[in-house]
Amino acid sequence: MMWIELWVNGSERVAEVRPDETLLELLRDGLGLRGAKNACSEGECGACTVLLDGVPIDACIYAAPACAGRAVTTVEGLAHADGELTPLQRAFVDTGAVQCGFCTPGFLLTLHALLAENPTPTEEEVRRAMVGNICRCTGYAHILDAVAQVAGVKE
Amino acid sequence: MPAAVEFRSVRSTEEAVASLSEHGSDACVIAGGTDVMMQYARHELSPAVFVHIEGIKELTNAQRDGSLRLGALVTHRHLADDPVIRTGHPALAEAAATVGGWQTQGVGTLGGNLCNASPAADTAPPLLVADATVELCGPRGIRRVPLEEFFLGRRHVDRRPEELLTGVEAAPLGPRQAEVYLKVGRRGGMVVAVAGLAARLSFDEQGVIAAARLAVCSVGPTPLRVRPAEEALLGLCPSGRMTDDGYTALEEAIAALSGAVSPIDDVRSSAAYRRAVLPRLLRRSVEVCRAAVRAGISQDDLS
Repeated sequence: MMWIELWVNGSERVAEVRPDETLLELLRDGLGLRGAKNACSEGECGACTVLLDGVPIDACIYAAPACAGRAVTTVEGLAHADGELTPLQRAFVDTGAVQCGFCTPGFLLTLHALLAENPTPTEEEVRRAMVGNICRCTGYAHILDAVAQVAGVKE
Repeated sequence: MPAAVEFRSVRSTEEAVASLSEHGSDACVIAGGTDVMMQYARHELSPAVFVHIEGIKELTNAQRDGSLRLGALVTHRHLADDPVIRTGHPALAEAAATVGGWQTQGVGTLGGNLCNASPAADTAPPLLVADATVELCGPRGIRRVPLEEFFLGRRHVDRRPEELLTGVEAAPLGPRQAEVYLKVGRRGGMVVAVAGLAARLSFDEQGVIAAARLAVCSVGPTPLRVRPAEEALLGLCPSGRMTDDGYTALEEAIAALSGAVSPIDDVRSSAAYRRAVLPRLLRRSVEVCRAAVRAGISQDDLS
């Protein structure tokens, strides 16, 4: 086992991890943050997407010890401390972009990263950004609506 | 219980080489880990130590100084988005944009894609047609290997256990030259290539192919440059209605391409389909390059 220090949702955390532990195991089992989901375990579905220094990654295939000294953002870290949702989260609720909800945290983090670097994406840009996130309910149209609501997506 | 693996993060090339020299083939280099972590989970790898190199800042740069020099830690997102790469190496930028989703592209590195040596490595064909050379740093200094000679077999490259791949050098597009990477897959994203083909073609003032580079992936154990097909394309004039000679040259190139590849049946496709799709990729690559050079010329005329 080894000790690492990292920033999770703005707080400094110290965690003991196995050298071959994944970031997803650390978040879910070590830190009790169950927002990132475990589905394919192979970096195919995006249900475990979190941000590492602002970049979306699949936590299921990212090494936990590699996160030492870095900043991780999970879905638990998006809303304000008082529970107020981000505009994108609000839009997900308003447009019905959540069906079973299992893929939702991953989509939110990918799309937050997209909007952070490109606040007014075209629909094609939104679609390309989402390519690594799978919605098993196939609710993509409403997810696109949600992004359009906050970003004024261009045709 | 297998012996516990160790995880060591290094901050410099020297530190990485020292670590690799100490552990030899028991060490596994890891950067973004998008291939390594999956292979480890599948028990395809069992290293004694992971040497984690993502913190080596000097390997994260892409520099253009005549030729393009890419640090081994340049990510696929960087390749896809960098205006210098999109202009000088459009096929490489396009190929990088097709590797997995954002989650893979954001941390998956060029050095990792090459060292993993998948038969389907998307960045390989565009770099092969750019006459790329890889740079390997070992305890006795730097060794440069043409990318064409770097791939020895499936998942097998000419990297000694104590060496770190530190960078790649490639020649950018010249005047009257165009390139393209065409990839066949089942959907528009998150696809491992069923077949991939990169072409870099130079045209003379009459629109005749004066130099050609062709490389393919997913149709043999390694990405492959196809020299006999390149030679067959010389002299071909693909503009307008093609003459009988033009067709003959293209047919010869297709035959040479077919003779050079050794596709297999696997979960993604059949060997027969791969053979069927290759000639179409070659024809389309010639058309796309010709159109790009024409468009480039007309733009130059306007400016």
